[in-house]
Amino acid sequence: MEANPIVIDDTAGDVIVVVVEGEHDIYTAPTLRERLDESLDRGGGVVVDLTTATFVDSSVLGALLDARRRAHESSQGFVVCVGEEVEPGVRRILDITGLVPVLPVVNGREEALVAARSNGQE
Amino acid sequence: MSSLPEVRLSMPARAEGVSVVRQALSGIADALDFHEAVVADMKMAVTEACTNVVVHAYEQDDGLLEVDMITAEDALTISVRDHGSGIHPRPAVRRTPALGLGLPLIAALSDAFELRGSSGEGTEVRMTFAFERDGDPVDDNPVQGTVGLDGKWDPDADA
Repeated sequence: MEANPIVIDDTAGDVIVVVVEGEHDIYTAPTLRERLDESLDRGGGVVVDLTTATFVDSSVLGALLDARRRAHESSQGFVVCVGEEVEPGVRRILDITGLVPVLPVVNGREEALVAARSNGQE
Repeated sequence: MSSLPEVRLSMPARAEGVSVVRQALSGIADALDFHEAVVADMKMAVTEACTNVVVHAYEQDDGLLEVDMITAEDALTISVRDHGSGIHPRPAVRRTPALGLGLPLIAALSDAFELRGSSGEGTEVRMTFAFERDGDPVDDNPVQGTVGLDGKWDPDADA
C-alpha cells in the first residue's frame, strides 16, 4: 500500500474527486498531474481533496494551477478542498501564496462538489 | 542543544531524495524541540531548496545534493548545496515544470536566508531558523505576486 496515495474517487457522479493523502513534493507531483489529467479527460468537474494531505510544496501547487488553467479553458469546474483542521504543511503555503481564492480552496468536500458543478464560479 | 551532532547528508540529486531530507530534518527539529509551526516552515523551505537542486542544478542525474544541519545556541542553520551550473541555473527540463516559487518561499519562511554561488561553481542556499521567533518571518518577506497567465509565478503581478 502506498504511503502517500493519490486516488481518484468517481462516486460523486459528474464530478471526479482526486484525493491526495500524506506528503507530496516533486517526487509525487508527476503522479498528481497524471491523475488530474485523467480526471479532466472525463469532461466533468474536478475536486482535489487535500483533507488528509499533510504536506504539499510548490511542485504540487504547480500541478494544481496547471489543472485549474486546463479546466478553465474547457469550462470545467475545478475546486480544491481542505478539512476543518488543516495541517501546517498545507495551510501555510496556501495562505502565504494567496492562492486560496485563486485555485479556489474551500472547506469540505460537499461545498467543493457544489462549486465544481457550477464551473467553480461561486 | 548545542551538544547535538551536526547532520550531513549527501545523496544523488533525485526527486525521491527530497523526502529523505525532510525526514532527517523532522528528526533533528523534534530533538531541538522546535514549535510545530516552525518545523512546518523548515520542511517547506528545505524542500524548495532541495527541489531547486533536483530540477535546475545538473544536466544528468549524476550530481550530488548535499545538506548540512548545523546547530547553534539560538538557531538551526540548514545548508543545501549542489555542484552544478551555478547561481543562474539552467531551465528546468524535468517532467515536472518549475512554478518559480521556490526562492520566494525560502525567503519568506526562514528567519535568515543567504544564496551563495557563481556560474559553474554550484549554489548554496543557507537558511536559519531561530529557536525563539520574535514574529512571523513572512511579515518581513512576504511572497509577492501571483501566478501569471503562463502558469509561472509572476512576482510583479497583483495578488
